[in-house]
Amino acid sequence: MPSQPQGSVYTAVEFLDSFSYFTGRLIAWLTLAMMLITCLIVVLRYGFSLGSIALQESLGYLHAAVFLLGMAFTLQQDGHVRVDIFYRRYSQQQKAWVNALGGIIFLLPFCLFIVFASWEFVVSSWAVHEGSPNAGGIPAVFLLKSLIPLAAALLALQGISGVLRSLLLLTQEPGLTQEPGLTQEAGVSHEQDATRAAGLSEAAHHD
Amino acid sequence: MTELLVELLPLLMFALVCACLMLGYNVAFTLAGTALTCAGLGIVSGHFDASLLRAFPDRMFGTMNNYTLIAVPLFVLMGVMMERSHLAEQLLNNMARLCGRLPAGMAISVVVVGMLLAACTGIVGATVVTMGLMSLPVMLKRGYSPELATGTICATGTLGQIIPPSIALVLLGDILSSAYQQAQLKMGIFNPQPVSVGDLFIGALVPGLLLVGLYIVYLLFTSLRRPDLAPSGQPEDADEVSAFTLLGSLLPPVILIVLVLGSIISGAATPTEAAGVGALGATLLAWQQGQLSRAKLADIARSTTVITTMVFTILIGASLFSLVFRGFGGEEMITHFFHNLPGGMVSATLIVMLVIFLLGFILDFIEITFVVVPIVGPVLLAMGLDPVWLGIMIALNLQTSFLTPPFGFALFYLRGVAPDEVATAAIYRGVVPFIVLQLALMLALAIWPQLVTWLPGQMH
Repeated sequence: MPSQPQGSVYTAVEFLDSFSYFTGRLIAWLTLAMMLITCLIVVLRYGFSLGSIALQESLGYLHAAVFLLGMAFTLQQDGHVRVDIFYRRYSQQQKAWVNALGGIIFLLPFCLFIVFASWEFVVSSWAVHEGSPNAGGIPAVFLLKSLIPLAAALLALQGISGVLRSLLLLTQEPGLTQEPGLTQEAGVSHEQDATRAAGLSEAAHHD
Repeated sequence: MTELLVELLPLLMFALVCACLMLGYNVAFTLAGTALTCAGLGIVSGHFDASLLRAFPDRMFGTMNNYTLIAVPLFVLMGVMMERSHLAEQLLNNMARLCGRLPAGMAISVVVVGMLLAACTGIVGATVVTMGLMSLPVMLKRGYSPELATGTICATGTLGQIIPPSIALVLLGDILSSAYQQAQLKMGIFNPQPVSVGDLFIGALVPGLLLVGLYIVYLLFTSLRRPDLAPSGQPEDADEVSAFTLLGSLLPPVILIVLVLGSIISGAATPTEAAGVGALGATLLAWQQGQLSRAKLADIARSTTVITTMVFTILIGASLFSLVFRGFGGEEMITHFFHNLPGGMVSATLIVMLVIFLLGFILDFIEITFVVVPIVGPVLLAMGLDPVWLGIMIALNLQTSFLTPPFGFALFYLRGVAPDEVATAAIYRGVVPFIVLQLALMLALAIWPQLVTWLPGQMH
């Protein structure tokens, strides 16, 4: 039986992972929306000679939302590519060290930096409710800019989860293996994706 | 001594990031994290201006607002859709069948299909990822060596740099035209000749097709010499297949790709529009073949998100890195060196090509185009280089750089989608022959610049 503090850390890790997974599943649908909107734009322009700035801009909004808010999900799926010449041959322990240290030294400071660096940028945009530079555009550039710190915050949460998971493994938590988001090298493969997803949501529901 | 050390800070930073990348943490965050660490040390020791970092949110916002880049998720969606619904597998298989008993028929089909896709996207990441998802499992199943399969895919994927209408050429054409004007004014020509993006497209045609030809000849040669590495058509390829069945499965995807490509080349649609329509076409094809359930659609959307995000996170990380690199005077260091160089045009061109090659390891072609070309372009062109030739050489050079282990971008992207049983070392070994082919072509273009300049000359 895991000791009490480790058990609650484990619960936190599971919770953060399933949260990132949940956001990713929502965001993923936006890619299909992008496809449909692009086709709508094409039909309107070439079929009816109609152009909508707002429609055009909405494509940019969706695109930004996908690749910014998807960062945490991609981290959870271990979809961010590594130079794995050596990493592949590491033991579970060594991989956990790389992921714990990488998270603490590289990832989390990067997230903090984005939040701090973009704060002024976003606040000043909110202050004037910054709208589109184009006539007829979407009057929500301040929301678009807010995606930057929001993405960093989501990424940081998932980053913390990854670090904690690695630390648990390094402290020999029994029953915890390197699970989603850590050892799978570039987990873009779909079968893995699906099985992991199933396992993960089950775990989330059982808790 | 300290003076020298400060001058060399950008080089040290470059070395540090290379070392850190080898540890195996995610590339995007390693680039960003190392840059931040260096910036932090620089601020503490007074060698870095902290206010430079304020430009970063603007840069991220620039990426978010880049209309052209919206084509990336749409092309990825199209590729994932074709792969997951086995459309591309059928296309490749049928292409392989059409090539029949041709040696290395499958690999040659990959080069041809990949060339079509590369022309569509013009984005290395998207093409490599799409081709990797589509063709790597099929090639491995057919008994190709992992080296040859991955090498073919990486090399084919980087064709997006050079096969028009490549986005790299659009950006390069834009920058080169202003560099050329500057150069001519400097030379005292007050009625400067323009150079357009169209010139670059036309100039890229001959070298691009030559390169594809070289790939195909190499594959044929390998298959004849070592059939175990690149098998010819399999027994089932000889099975009687009615021409009608073959055409029926071959035509819809080919028409789709030709439409997407044609609408971009003819200028009827932007790459983003063409990609969106292409993705919908692929979706409809998959649906018509009964390959599309709701669960599968969700799965495809998730994969698209992961791949897109992976590409853009690297772009963001590299952007922070280049910001800090310039902050430490990396740009001046290179310019300074360049101005004090003996040997005139030839050695200057060689050095520039080498610098661009090295920068291609960490920077995207967008960054290199906007950072390096404006600095070196006017000087080189003032020495008498042909702007179209210079543009094509830069594009080919970056293409080679993106292919070169261990830091080539194409390799990262393919690693991201390759099955685990394919060793990274196999990918690295696989690209070597293709790098040699690229270098041979660049050498040929250097000796016979007419290969590039003849066709645009004819068009004027």
